[in-house]
Amino acid sequence: MKRQKRFEKLEKRPVHLDGFVKEWDDEGLVALEGKNDPKPSIKLENGEITELDGKKKEDFDLIDKYIAEYGLNLDNAEMAMNTDSLKIAHMLVDPNVSRSEIIKYTTAITPAKAEEVISKLNFGEMIVAVQKMRPRRTPATQCHITNTLDNPVEIAADAAEAALRGFPEQETTTAIARYAPMNAISIMVGSQTGRPGVITQCSVEESEELSLGMRGFTAYAETISVYGTDRVFTDGDDTPWSKGFLASCYASRGLKMRFTSGAGSEVMMGYTEGKSMLYLEARCIFITKASGVQGLQNGGVSCIGIPGAVPGGIREVLGENLMCMMMDIECASGCDQAFSHSDIRRTERMIGQFIAGTDYISSGYAAEENRDNTFAGSNMDVLDYDDYCAMERDLAVNGGILPIHEEDAIKIRNKAAKAIQAVFDGLGLPAITDEEVEAATYASNSDDMPKRDMVQDMKAAQDLMDRGITVSDIIKALHDHGFNDVAQAVLALAQQKVCGDYLQTSAIFDKNWHCISAIDNPNDYQGPGTGYRLWEDKDTWDKIKDIPWAMDPQHMDF
Amino acid sequence: MSEVDSLVNKIMSQLKDENSSASSSTSTSTPTNSDSELGRNDYPLFEKHPDKVKSPTGKSLHDITLDNVVDGTVGPKDLRITPDTLRMQGQIAASAGRVAIQKNFQRAAELTQIPDDRLLQLYNALRPYRSSKQELLDMSSELRDKYNAPVCANWFAEAAENYEKNKKLKGDN
Repeated sequence: MKRQKRFEKLEKRPVHLDGFVKEWDDEGLVALEGKNDPKPSIKLENGEITELDGKKKEDFDLIDKYIAEYGLNLDNAEMAMNTDSLKIAHMLVDPNVSRSEIIKYTTAITPAKAEEVISKLNFGEMIVAVQKMRPRRTPATQCHITNTLDNPVEIAADAAEAALRGFPEQETTTAIARYAPMNAISIMVGSQTGRPGVITQCSVEESEELSLGMRGFTAYAETISVYGTDRVFTDGDDTPWSKGFLASCYASRGLKMRFTSGAGSEVMMGYTEGKSMLYLEARCIFITKASGVQGLQNGGVSCIGIPGAVPGGIREVLGENLMCMMMDIECASGCDQAFSHSDIRRTERMIGQFIAGTDYISSGYAAEENRDNTFAGSNMDVLDYDDYCAMERDLAVNGGILPIHEEDAIKIRNKAAKAIQAVFDGLGLPAITDEEVEAATYASNSDDMPKRDMVQDMKAAQDLMDRGITVSDIIKALHDHGFNDVAQAVLALAQQKVCGDYLQTSAIFDKNWHCISAIDNPNDYQGPGTGYRLWEDKDTWDKIKDIPWAMDPQHMDF
Repeated sequence: MSEVDSLVNKIMSQLKDENSSASSSTSTSTPTNSDSELGRNDYPLFEKHPDKVKSPTGKSLHDITLDNVVDGTVGPKDLRITPDTLRMQGQIAASAGRVAIQKNFQRAAELTQIPDDRLLQLYNALRPYRSSKQELLDMSSELRDKYNAPVCANWFAEAAENYEKNKKLKGDN
C-alpha cells in the first residue's frame, strides 16, 4: 500500500509506543461488565450468607468464604441489595446525599453489585463522586524515594527535599534486596530532617518488611498484595486468612498499613476466571474491608499497562478508586507506575484523581529521576515537578506537591546528607565522606554520586540486623552528633506508634505531629461551598501560588 | 457527618461490639481501663487523652523523652503499643462506623503479647501449603492457652477448616 503521509507521521508519535489491545472477555481482558461477570445476588439464612453473587455456599472458594464471613454489613444487606444500582449511583453523584448516608448502602452490597453501581457512572460523574467519597477531607499525595545504586546519602537527600515539597508519606524499595534496612533508615532520617511528621515505608518481602517495622525503621506498610481470584492469591503466596492475620500483626506493633490491589494483576498472573478487571478488583476491595484494614492502594498500580490497553480502562481505574472510597476505605489511588510514552496520556492517567483529590493522588510520584526509580518508573517524576505545580496553580487544585526555592532545597538536602552521615558513624556503618555529602546536596540522579563500596554496604546492612540495632540506636546516634532536632522528630514518630492515632483511616501527620485522618478531618463535601477548597486553605494556597519563576508585574526591571 | 448520624453510628457499633464480644468466647483481655467507651471526639488520643496512653512497661508518653532514650531509661520495649491503647483506638474506629477495623485491633491487641520471631513464624505458617491441619490446630491451641488470644486462636482454627476444604494445606499443591 502506498503510505499516506499524515498516517506515517502519526505513527511516529509517542502514543504509538504504548500497547493497545482489543477486548477478550474469556481471558479477563475487559475493563468492566464482562460477559462472564456474575449477576449480583445474596441469600441469608440465620444470619449467614448462603449465596453470594450467584454462587452457592458449597461452591465458595476461600475469597468468597472470607467475604461472606467478614466483608458485608448484614444488617443493611437486604435493604441495600434491593435498592436499584442506578439509584445508588445517583446518590454517589448527588451533592444532597451525604457520604455517611451512602456508606450505609455501599458497605452492605456484594462485589457484583458494587461493580454494577460503578458501571453506571461516566468519567465526569466519577470525579464528582470521588470528591465526596474520599475519607479524608484534605487531599494529599505520596512519593517514591529510590535510586538504582541504593545510595543511602542520595536517598536521605531526596527524602528531605520531597518532605519539604509536601509529601506526607514516602516509600522506598531496593535495587538489591539486602540493602533493605539501610534504605529504610536513610529514608526515615532524610524525611524527618526535611519535615517532621512524614511517615515512611520500605517495600520488600512480606515478613522482612514486618521485621523492619518491628525495629522501628519504618512507620507503615503498603505493598501487602491481595488478588481477586483464588489461584492468583495462592500464587502470590498468601490466603485471605494469612493476609488478614498479617494486617493484625502490623497493628499489634503500632504500624499503619494498607493493602494493595489493582486491575490487571490477575490477567498478568494468568488466572482471571474470565471475569472483568472491575469485578475482580471489587473482590480485592471487599477482602480489604473484611480484614479491617484501614486503607488500600489500588487503581491499576503496577499492572496499569493492562487496564491502560483496553477500551474504557482508565475510566475503570478511577472507578476502582471510587469503589474503594465508597467502602469507607482510605485510597492511595495509583497514578504510579509508568504506563505511557505520551505526555498527553500521562496527564490523562492522573487527571481524574488530581481534579477530584484523593487521600493520596499518586502512590507514588517519583521523587527522583525516573531512571533511578526502582519501582520500574512512575507516571510522573522530579522533572515534572514544575509542570505539576503549574497545574495546581492554574486549576487551584491541591495536588499535594508544593513548589520550593532552590536555596531551600540545597539547604535541606545538605542537612539530611549530614544527618545520615552522622547515623552511619554512630551505628558503625561504612563511612559517608564529606565528598558524598556535597555530591548528594547538588545531585539530580545517582550518576552524580561518588561510587560506594556496595559489598561493604550490603555486609553492613546484614550486620546491623544481626546486631539487633533498633530505632533507639538511631535516635542516640543523631543526638550524639548534634542533630537534636532530627533525633526529636524520629523519637516523636516512635512515640506516635505507642499512641496509635495514625492507625485510623487515612491518617497523616502535619509538621507538629498533629494527626489528620478521617476521624478528625472527615470529608464533608456536599456541593458548592462545602468540603475542601484550596483557596480556603490559605497557607497552602499561598505556597502553591508562589512558584519561584512567576514574574512580579509590580516589581519588574526593564 | 451530622451529630445525629454520628450518634446513631455510635450506638449501632456499640450494639455490634457487644454482640461480637459475646460470640467470641470470654475475652481474657479485660480492659484495665474501666472508663466509658471512647468516641471520635476523644481523638487524637495523643492530644486529648495522653494520660490514658501507657507504654508496655507502664511509662507515660511524657516519659518518652530524648534524654531518657539517650541514657537508656527508655528502650525499644517502651516504644510499643499496648492492648489497652489498641482497644481505645478500636472504640474510636467503631464510633466512626468502622467496626471491621475494631475487630482487626482486637486481634492485634492479642498479638502484642507474642514475641516478634514467633509472630513472624505464625504468619508464615498461615501461608498456603505451609502447614498441616494439625499444625494449624496446634497453633490455635498455643494462641489460646499460652498467649490468651482467643480471637486469633479462632482465626487459626477457621483457617485449618477452610484450608482443608479448599486444599491449601501442606502437600495439597
